[in-house]
Amino acid sequence: MEKYGIGQPVRRKEDVRFLTGTGTYIDDIKPDNVAHALVLRSTHAHAKILGIDGTEAENMPGILGIVTGKDWIAEDFQPMPTKSAVNKKIDGTPLNQPPRHALAIDRVRYVGEPVALIVAETVSQAQDAAEAVEVDYEELEAVTDQVKALEPGAPQIWDDIEGNFCLDFELGDKEETEKAFKGADHVIKLDLRNQCVTATPIETRGAIASYDKDTGKYFLQNATQNVHANRDTFAGVLKIPSEDLHHVAPDVGGGFGAKNSGYPEPSLLLYASKKIDRPIKWISDRNESFAADTHGRDQATTVELALDKDGMFLGLRTKTIGNIGAYCWTVGPFTPTGGSARTQGGPYYFPAMHYTGIAAFTNTMPLDPYRGAGRPEGSFQIERIVELAARELGIDPVELRRKNLMPADSLPRKTPMGLDVDTGNFPEVFERTLKMSDRAGFAKRVADSAAKGLKRGFAIAPYLECTGGGPKEFAGVKFARDGSAALRVGSMSTGMGQETSMPQILSDRLGIDFDKITYVQGDTDATPIGGGHGGSRNMEVGGSAVLQCANEVLVKAKQIAAHLLNSNADDMELSEGVFTDVKTDQSVSMVDVVAASFEQSRLPDGMEEGALDTDTIYEREIISCPNGCHSAEVEVDPETGSVNVEHMWVVDDFGTIINPMLADGQVMGGIAQGLGQALMEEIIYDEDSGQLVTGSLMDYALPRADSMPKMEMAFFEDAPTAKNPLGVKGSGEAGCCGAPPAIVNAVLDALKDDGVLHIEMPLTSEKVWRAIAEAKAG
Amino acid sequence: MYEFEYHQPKTLEEAAKLFADADDPQFMAGGQTIIPVMKQHLAMPSDIIDIGRIADLQGISVDGDTLTIGAMTRHGDVAGSDEVRKSIPALSDLASHIGDPAVRNRGTLGGSIANNDPAADYPAALVALGATVYTTSREISAEDFFTAMFETALEDGEMVVKVTFPVPEKAAYEKFPNPASRYATTGVFVARTGDGVRVAVTGAGACVFRQSDFEKALDTDFSPPALDGISVSADGLNSDLHASAEYRANLITVLAKRAVKHAG
Ligand SMILES: Cc1cc2nc3c(=O)[nH]c(=O)nc-3n(C[C@H](O)[C@H](O)[C@H](O)COP(=O)(O)OP(=O)(O)OC[C@H]3O[C@@H](n4cnc5c(N)ncnc54)[C@H](O)[C@@H]3O)c2cc1C
Repeated sequence: MEKYGIGQPVRRKEDVRFLTGTGTYIDDIKPDNVAHALVLRSTHAHAKILGIDGTEAENMPGILGIVTGKDWIAEDFQPMPTKSAVNKKIDGTPLNQPPRHALAIDRVRYVGEPVALIVAETVSQAQDAAEAVEVDYEELEAVTDQVKALEPGAPQIWDDIEGNFCLDFELGDKEETEKAFKGADHVIKLDLRNQCVTATPIETRGAIASYDKDTGKYFLQNATQNVHANRDTFAGVLKIPSEDLHHVAPDVGGGFGAKNSGYPEPSLLLYASKKIDRPIKWISDRNESFAADTHGRDQATTVELALDKDGMFLGLRTKTIGNIGAYCWTVGPFTPTGGSARTQGGPYYFPAMHYTGIAAFTNTMPLDPYRGAGRPEGSFQIERIVELAARELGIDPVELRRKNLMPADSLPRKTPMGLDVDTGNFPEVFERTLKMSDRAGFAKRVADSAAKGLKRGFAIAPYLECTGGGPKEFAGVKFARDGSAALRVGSMSTGMGQETSMPQILSDRLGIDFDKITYVQGDTDATPIGGGHGGSRNMEVGGSAVLQCANEVLVKAKQIAAHLLNSNADDMELSEGVFTDVKTDQSVSMVDVVAASFEQSRLPDGMEEGALDTDTIYEREIISCPNGCHSAEVEVDPETGSVNVEHMWVVDDFGTIINPMLADGQVMGGIAQGLGQALMEEIIYDEDSGQLVTGSLMDYALPRADSMPKMEMAFFEDAPTAKNPLGVKGSGEAGCCGAPPAIVNAVLDALKDDGVLHIEMPLTSEKVWRAIAEAKAG
Repeated sequence: MYEFEYHQPKTLEEAAKLFADADDPQFMAGGQTIIPVMKQHLAMPSDIIDIGRIADLQGISVDGDTLTIGAMTRHGDVAGSDEVRKSIPALSDLASHIGDPAVRNRGTLGGSIANNDPAADYPAALVALGATVYTTSREISAEDFFTAMFETALEDGEMVVKVTFPVPEKAAYEKFPNPASRYATTGVFVARTGDGVRVAVTGAGACVFRQSDFEKALDTDFSPPALDGISVSADGLNSDLHASAEYRANLITVLAKRAVKHAG
């Protein structure tokens, strides 16, 4: 039993399925009589649609129907509203929100915007027909950069939204911060970008929709991270009650935020499936994924740090302009505003901070949360300015950080950004990371690298982040006579392993055999509510719901056990699956208690058959604050500018660790994506035409196994949070917060003798090579 | 993908006949280029003639000072071959760094050179080693074979059968991979034979080319410092998303020196 309990590195149950090719991803589902859909997408960044002629295409072999924006509007289908938690401008007026329909109506605003849905017997027939659909475009000028979009005279993306301005936002104390800057001995300032990237999940998006004439209900199977919220979105579009749409996510192959949102395609498929009275499948191809999956990051920022003469931080001022693309999408406007604001300043003690964020429209694919959604951006901003301050003031960067970390005894503390930091020990986590990093051996490694003509650098990057996502979660358990249990949870795994870790909690609390617990997620019929996945909420909110559910079961199970033993529920103690009466030493097993719960004659008064079955809803009050520290050693080849990340050391405070093996996996995956952003990934649109330049894996560089450093990871488990009953702090996004600044600062450390102070991400080999050359030239 | 007829001939004659009889045929070897191109609707052949079963296109052998590799030989087989490693280790090294394992298990020597992608690796080896391409109708020296970007001396329906490589005294290949595709952003193959030194550059221009000033310098002194002071002009070199012409010019020098050092 013990080895499946909380804290055990239990191997993932789902791995057998995933690794032997027997998982059921959306494309593995092949309903009878299924038709196939293709989304015809805009080839222009900005153009008027003068007309769409599908006559020839409609008459081609196998074509079952074509839906255009005109058809869509004629049905009076509704646009999809944004759910951004920040939805007012500083002046209190609502954000500027253009209508987001599932199809472009009379104008396209980004390359890849859906223009028509083509339904055919086969994908290849739909492709052939797509070439015969004539879309008459009148091209308009496009702008893809958010800073330029806000400049006077920029192309107007929305006629009634002046200056491409969505909203502005501020947080912190402006006056206090200004005072801090006035009184400062040093002010360090840096302009930097968190470039636009995309999630590239290994499984692209896809969905299958069908309609049952007899019941009047729709069925949607969808590679999504969030079935409940998106069900409501799609039902809203189609103007049907949510109950009439059953939304299910099968196995999902990675999401990272890009499968969170209410995309246009499912509503189109649902509508068309009713119309042709057949199930319809759509699977995005990889190029489509680059163009039409939401993008992430893309912030242009000015960050300023005020210090006193001893290097103590006095104030932080950050101004960000975030690109949100052509629409507000699901929660796009939140990322560069509230999303980046809350964790400003990282784990450092700041007397004053002020953050301003602006969300701007451009002619790009809209942005939505991508692993961290604003916090990695914030972490990069603070760590870069601290590193630069150390360089400019001639202070050891380790020392500068060390003296400014929030002291352990300053917690609990509300930061000037309003973040409630309850538990943790930043100095301890920092020192442990430093200790793991073998600083003593560094000089020799530098010399060894130099002997090969390479430059070695080191940097350390502590981070503080916070969780997010829906605060409520459902967990329910249903028992069978043989003692097995079916657990249903409204949070969702897209490959992180909750099929293993959630049953671990149940097994731990109830002494049920781990192998006898089945797990269901991602099904609107299975759970009344569900927050899906986002904001590292799975364990914090979903896990807490499971724990609460287990505790409620336990209360009832003790009553049954006591009834069976003729004793008191209060005297029952559960250990290793057996209830024992602490007074009489009599015992009865949990399996027996479960069996008894199905026999009225063995149940106490007031309980009915199936009494142990329990449904519960847990609600989080305050988000938790995962934190930790990354350090990195890199080698730079000065002749080519190429960077090799040699080694990373990480200590994370995720509170209680449910399954260290899975938590390690989260950190490693986060490092991979963080390394990708630091060194190679970038979504690039052509400045003039607005065409997507990095539209395939031949152009968009992703890290591969051989790009990964040696990684050593440890957990600091001495500071569980009291904000949830498990004591956990989310682990999913932390890697993306720590890795980019650690890697970028380590590269700059390697180049410190060359006088290179800053390089924008991604640090491609050419950029590094140029930076060295330019510094040399002066 | 558009619809097409698929054929799998067993002999060169059968393949030639199928080719002659079809409207708009294409040979397919490993399919690593032609399939993606077709998937993206950029090619619409009426017939695909899969040459994978033709015995005359297979095999690796060494005869005296000549290494012969059949056109259908997969990159992975070149990389894993003892004959190649013993005779021209630089070539097995090159093959082992093409793309990824999936690509190496399918892609072929014949397909690679017939395609003549400006960023492909093999063209540098063929030109630097002074290889000869044997087709279904003639022999062509490597330098005459690669004519321009994605262009070769092959006539319509002419097939590469095999390539022969004279075994050099010394050779090495250095590649700077494109971080996304892992094709060569720039690759330099240096070979010294009885006839002198040859330096062939791929990935940097529209088509593989020889760096003759390097060759001259290395003819007198086959050592990295021999290249000091020779500056490579960026004129005419490729500039794209991943590398500017100036950067590629720098890579040519850096990689050539490393190749010379590596060749020993
Ligand atoms: C992801 C990826 C990464 C890659 N990375 C690299 C790399 O790093 N370096 C590199 O050099 N290459 C790389 N390649 C290319 C690959 O290695 C193949 O060499 C190339 O795709 C062509 O070989 P093939 O056998 O697949 O040819 P096919 O795709 O089958 O054919 C290509 C063309 O050549 C013609 N053809 C094929 N064989 C013959 C023949 N015997 N005679 C006449 N014509 C013929 C075909 O008609 C077709 O026009 C990569 C490819 C991919 C998909």
